[in-house]
Amino acid sequence: MKTLKVLSALLSYPSDELIDAAPELKAVLTNEGVLPRRDLAAVLALVDDIGGRDLFDAQERYILLFDRTRSLSLHLFEHVHGESRDRGQAMVDLIKLYEDGGYTPTIGELPDFLPLFLEYAATRTPEEAIELIGQPGHVLAALKERLVKRSSPYAAVFAALVSLSKARLDEAALAALRAEPDPEPDDLEALDAAWEEEEVTFGPGAAKGDCGVDGLAAKLRQARRPAPGLEPAPGAGPRTVITTSPASRG
Amino acid sequence: MSQFLDRLTFFNKVKEPFSNGHGITTDEDRGWEDGYRLRWQHDKIVRSTHGANCTGSCSWKIYVKGGIVTWETQQTDYPRTRPDLPNHEPRGCSRGASYSWYLYSGNRVKYPLIRSRLLRHWRAARKTLAPVAAWKSIVEDPKKRQDYISVRGHGGFVRAKWDEVTEIIGAANAYTAKTYGPDRVIGFSPIPAMSMVSYAAGSRYLSLLGGVCMSFYDWYCDLPPASPQTWGEQTDVPESADWYNAGFIILWGSNVPQTRTPDAHFYTEARYRGTKSAVICPDYSEASKFGDIWLSVKQGTDAALAMAMGHVILKEYHVDRQAKYFRDYVRQYTDMPLLVKLVRQDGRLVPDRFLRASDFAQSLGEANNPEWKTVGFDEISGKVVVPNGSIGFRWGETGKWNIEEKEAGGRATTLRLSLADIKDEFADVAFPYFGNIENEHFTHSDHASVLNRRVPVKKLALAEGETLVTTVHDLFIANYGVDRGFGGENVAKSYDEDTPYTPAWAERITGVSRDKIIQVAREFATNAEKTNGRSMVIIGAAMNHWYHADMNYRGVINMLAMCGCIGQSGGGWSHYVGQEKLRPQAGWAPLAFALDWARPPRQQNSTSFFYAHTDQWRYETMHTSDILSPTAPPGPWDGAIIDYNIRAARMGWLPAYPTLTQNSLGIAKQAADVALEPKDYVARALKSGELSFAWSDPDSPQNFPRNMFVWRSNLLGSSGKGHEYFLKHLLGTSHGVLGKDLGEEGRERPKEVRWHDEAPRGKLDLLVTLDFRMSTTCVYSDIVLPTATWYEKNDLNTSDMHPFIHPLTGAVDPAWEAKSDWEIYKAIAKAFSKVAPEVLGVEKDVVLAPIMHDSPGEIAQAFEPKDWKKGECALIPGKTMPMVTVVERDYPNLYKRFTALGPLMEKVGNGIKGIAWQTGHEVEHLKHLNGVVTEEGPTKGMARIDSDIDAAEVLLMLAPETNGEVAVKSWEALSKTTGRKHAHLALPKEDEKIRFRDVVAQPRKIISAPTWSGLESEKVCYNAGYTNVHELIPWRTLTGRQQLYQDHLWMRAFGEGFCVYRPPIDLRAVKPVQGMKPNGEKEVVLNFITPHQKWGIHSTYTDNLLMLTLSRGGPIVWLSEVDARKAGIVDNDWVEAYNANGALVARAVVSQRMKEGTLFMYHAQEKIVNVPGSEMTGQRGGIHNSVTRTVLKPTHMIGGYVQLAYGFNYYGTIGTNRDEFVVVRKLRNVDWLERPLQGATPAVEAAE
Repeated sequence: MKTLKVLSALLSYPSDELIDAAPELKAVLTNEGVLPRRDLAAVLALVDDIGGRDLFDAQERYILLFDRTRSLSLHLFEHVHGESRDRGQAMVDLIKLYEDGGYTPTIGELPDFLPLFLEYAATRTPEEAIELIGQPGHVLAALKERLVKRSSPYAAVFAALVSLSKARLDEAALAALRAEPDPEPDDLEALDAAWEEEEVTFGPGAAKGDCGVDGLAAKLRQARRPAPGLEPAPGAGPRTVITTSPASRG
Repeated sequence: MSQFLDRLTFFNKVKEPFSNGHGITTDEDRGWEDGYRLRWQHDKIVRSTHGANCTGSCSWKIYVKGGIVTWETQQTDYPRTRPDLPNHEPRGCSRGASYSWYLYSGNRVKYPLIRSRLLRHWRAARKTLAPVAAWKSIVEDPKKRQDYISVRGHGGFVRAKWDEVTEIIGAANAYTAKTYGPDRVIGFSPIPAMSMVSYAAGSRYLSLLGGVCMSFYDWYCDLPPASPQTWGEQTDVPESADWYNAGFIILWGSNVPQTRTPDAHFYTEARYRGTKSAVICPDYSEASKFGDIWLSVKQGTDAALAMAMGHVILKEYHVDRQAKYFRDYVRQYTDMPLLVKLVRQDGRLVPDRFLRASDFAQSLGEANNPEWKTVGFDEISGKVVVPNGSIGFRWGETGKWNIEEKEAGGRATTLRLSLADIKDEFADVAFPYFGNIENEHFTHSDHASVLNRRVPVKKLALAEGETLVTTVHDLFIANYGVDRGFGGENVAKSYDEDTPYTPAWAERITGVSRDKIIQVAREFATNAEKTNGRSMVIIGAAMNHWYHADMNYRGVINMLAMCGCIGQSGGGWSHYVGQEKLRPQAGWAPLAFALDWARPPRQQNSTSFFYAHTDQWRYETMHTSDILSPTAPPGPWDGAIIDYNIRAARMGWLPAYPTLTQNSLGIAKQAADVALEPKDYVARALKSGELSFAWSDPDSPQNFPRNMFVWRSNLLGSSGKGHEYFLKHLLGTSHGVLGKDLGEEGRERPKEVRWHDEAPRGKLDLLVTLDFRMSTTCVYSDIVLPTATWYEKNDLNTSDMHPFIHPLTGAVDPAWEAKSDWEIYKAIAKAFSKVAPEVLGVEKDVVLAPIMHDSPGEIAQAFEPKDWKKGECALIPGKTMPMVTVVERDYPNLYKRFTALGPLMEKVGNGIKGIAWQTGHEVEHLKHLNGVVTEEGPTKGMARIDSDIDAAEVLLMLAPETNGEVAVKSWEALSKTTGRKHAHLALPKEDEKIRFRDVVAQPRKIISAPTWSGLESEKVCYNAGYTNVHELIPWRTLTGRQQLYQDHLWMRAFGEGFCVYRPPIDLRAVKPVQGMKPNGEKEVVLNFITPHQKWGIHSTYTDNLLMLTLSRGGPIVWLSEVDARKAGIVDNDWVEAYNANGALVARAVVSQRMKEGTLFMYHAQEKIVNVPGSEMTGQRGGIHNSVTRTVLKPTHMIGGYVQLAYGFNYYGTIGTNRDEFVVVRKLRNVDWLERPLQGATPAVEAAE
């Protein structure tokens, strides 16, 4: 599905080459015709938007959005595993997937980099590709919402991906993601909620329902604490979430 | 029924329970175990460590799977210690354990970044111009330059290719060297010990260029000048294992479990062994709970406490009863028996300088350096003798520079400590007293400013006539106000008298009850007496970051010296502030400063530099009269603080780069034109005014630092005291300075500096930062280069806390487009060499350098220093002015020089701390080990230094600590000077040569070398001063002993001949902003204290989600419940702290831990994580340094006087910051400033 290759290119760092390829990108999108009409129009608008800008401005915008704003990172596992140790293993598994499919990542990028992931998906059969991009569907949906909130034309790519995957989104997982990062910086209550620490209780009784030994219970609690994007354990309090705000938006 | 057939012979029943029914075998599917197996599978484990500025140097196992770092665990294979001593491991802490997160973090710098406004101009210019011309066209056009410098810190980065950014940097450097001089290119990188090859990469490039390497230890205020003053040593301390050998430990202003986490176990183990411990700190810190007793001292008054303890020790162990061990120790190892002149001044008798052999007729028979040899009374002969070991014996002769109890003629001596038994009379001697200075935040006493105390004196007939003299010992005890039965005023018979420095007096100043002071002093001294000095003081930043830190430190050093603890196992002075121990320093220095190609390198003390070049001097609020002694001798004690620095620089005491207004590349030619030697020409031209010092006019564009590199550092986010002044004047971007400068205020201006009414905004043309994370410094840079993390490069790491040398190893290749620091500077060197021929060739560079410690020049002016500018003396390079040297720079071949070991190692040799040796053999070895350069050119046949491992091998081969053969050579070289045999200390390890792969296999213990004053042996732990006491090697001071009396004119002028209590200074930063912008909230004024934190190492890890989650997730300040109530603040409120220097915003932590009157802000929390805007400045929050400003102290500028002579990171002004007060109030509007920059100038169109 070449459309995925186009979306991959659009999410890459803007370059002269990308801008020159605009007609080709548009042709593929239109001819392949896999995107719903509304999504297609928005993606075409993004192609024009990138091409119509001064390249430096387009690059500056890209860096501010995707390199400097952590809640918009294009590395999928940033949103799934965050700082957890599982991230390393997850990346290892992903490389294995690519290699089983007959491809080896060549450039110095991590395997969970979305444009890279999309390029791989583009090499698969449509069924497989759709299944693949459906897997991180809730991350894609969350990124879409964050970009919409910023009125960024890049939201088009994510909207297209969400439609394309026809993903029956795991609404609960999406809700967790929605609740989490990216608080509006001037919404104090939201920020306070995001900052609030998970309550920890000590002493006998605290560990009831595990196995009665506080130390072990603590370990279990730690293990059961969901990674960002996963459903919180029943009865668990809000998870502490910290977002990085860039030093300035110029 | 027979049971035989029921019993199974060949089987057991599968489900049979075992272990008394607790165990059962099942046959369920065990596939789930594979998940666990897979989880812990890995392809390889690599040893590395974390090169943060911390003393951990902990060994970690890095697990790699499929080319990806998956996790790390602590390594546990350190070499064992000896029996009866705990082992070192496990080492590590929560911070290091979370490091692998950084590798793939969203905050990682992934590609070379450049400010797009700059890149636009560059690409446009490069279409038609050669690189250097292109750079020139940008920075010489004020509109274009302003276009990109004014948006520093406001985003606007784009990616660029390595070739392009290195060309820009090379062109900028070449242009700057050609136009203004190479000393306008400066580089800041701290603490080489943490990754010494990475440090060396940048410093080697700068040194080959003629650029300037900036100091850090003094700037960070980790250097305690009291150490060089007393011992002639930057800092030397016991390893943490030696805590275990102590009998009594005072933990003073140090928070061991929090900031020396991997070593804290030795403290616990020592307590199990029975060591008693007192903890002294204002707050109930994590360390306080380790103490058997906790003294909650008022912050900033530690010297008063130390003086009172000293008072108790002197009275009980030196006066009322004389402990033999203590007496013998101070006689042999301190300056106490030496004679001091007393002179009459304003009707009073005041202590003057040490008496010298040259004061006597025929110089007491001393022909060599008699003015540098101190004297004392000998009990055996009854005469005045010249004891061995003073500095005069070190230079110009051999065999007598030792501290055997002998006089120069070889006869045994017993020096007389007190003149009481042979006195001619008693005399009242005047001592300055500063404890009566009024300060609204500190308690003062009403004693007079001059305190007379009685001492026994002798009249001596000297060359210049009859002179009164006494000993340091007699003056020293008098200074403490201990009554010896001589009568007179200002001495106390009882501890309960309110006389400086009794426990009762100190109780009032410090808030610590007198009985606790007496108890701790007694226990400390009693233990030392019974164990021959096994009492230890672990001392930390809380003591050192004060303006009068020297007094805090000397107060403690005095206690240790009077109890004979220095140089004894389990005893001594454990200053753990900063990571100063670059163990293989002698091997590293040639690599780092390109000493294999040219000497001397340009090295600058940063505190003075930033004071001058970020224009903090323009806002100076402290007057010289605030700190001048009431007993100051006549002298030039007028002018502002910067005036003293300028005098110091022109007298050759301190460096000052850029040095001259004129380009240093043109001076050799000017000299040749008038047929003079360059040094003679410079002296003449300085006198005539033809040449002038750049620092006399730091605001003139000719004298700006132009290009700056920052690597391995977060200068702007962490260590930059006076942060807002950096932004305003050095960078020229938006800033939060709230105060007015001297001109606007109409106050008195400096005398020696040209004043510009309009201060420059934006002195730097180019700021380049190398980092792996987008730090605050990166955010403000013009070019950001992605560097390898500590798991992606090969390097070396050492610490003062343990004796091992440890590697950093590349577990994986640098991610994205990152490169190691070594490869980055190599690339810059290559690009520079390519563009340089456009304007530069082989050039003669005239380098002015200060008079260096541990060099024959260190004995420059023996008595009252003379200033040539005032016509008091002639200009003599290296004596009354800086040294002048001509250095050849081969700019087109800079890259070739960078990657080969130059010829000076064989021609001149190597050395350190005044000890020199030949290195031919090592260079030959290196040629075999690294291979030789085979390409044609000036470096063909030389040892190659291509990779980071090659570089590591160079320093390991050349250093005595890692090459036994060199260790033996260096000890033998020292033996010539001391006349004593030392080689036995290294001979057993002569054949040991530690290579990079050896330390990768297992951390290796270094070999004992004369670089350091402790030993690495199977018998003792490393402890500073050990070889001074046990090998009788002199301390590198004027007297050769631990020098408790500082006799330099400037020391006496500023009242620090002897240790005294001096209250914190008044920086007057609060009044100007009180009521400036009321927001309706209540205000409280608090002392601003910046301790080291628990959730980061400085700023590293503070942007790590794990650490943020463990703390509060953003910037926090701590205050007491009382102060919070006063200001209506509750826990977790957003508050603002501000003063004339700027403002910061943080959440409040209201805690019982805190002492009333103080505000803690852990340094360093960056402004890139969860920092809203400040109501006072309208700028984003600020950092802890937004409310600080550097203040210099004249006594730190002294030079050319043995231990008070310059050395890089050894002596110089320090960046103190704890005397600062701030207004604290609740923030009313939390504004995240998430909108486009208001009022930014639109981008200037690039010329086509």
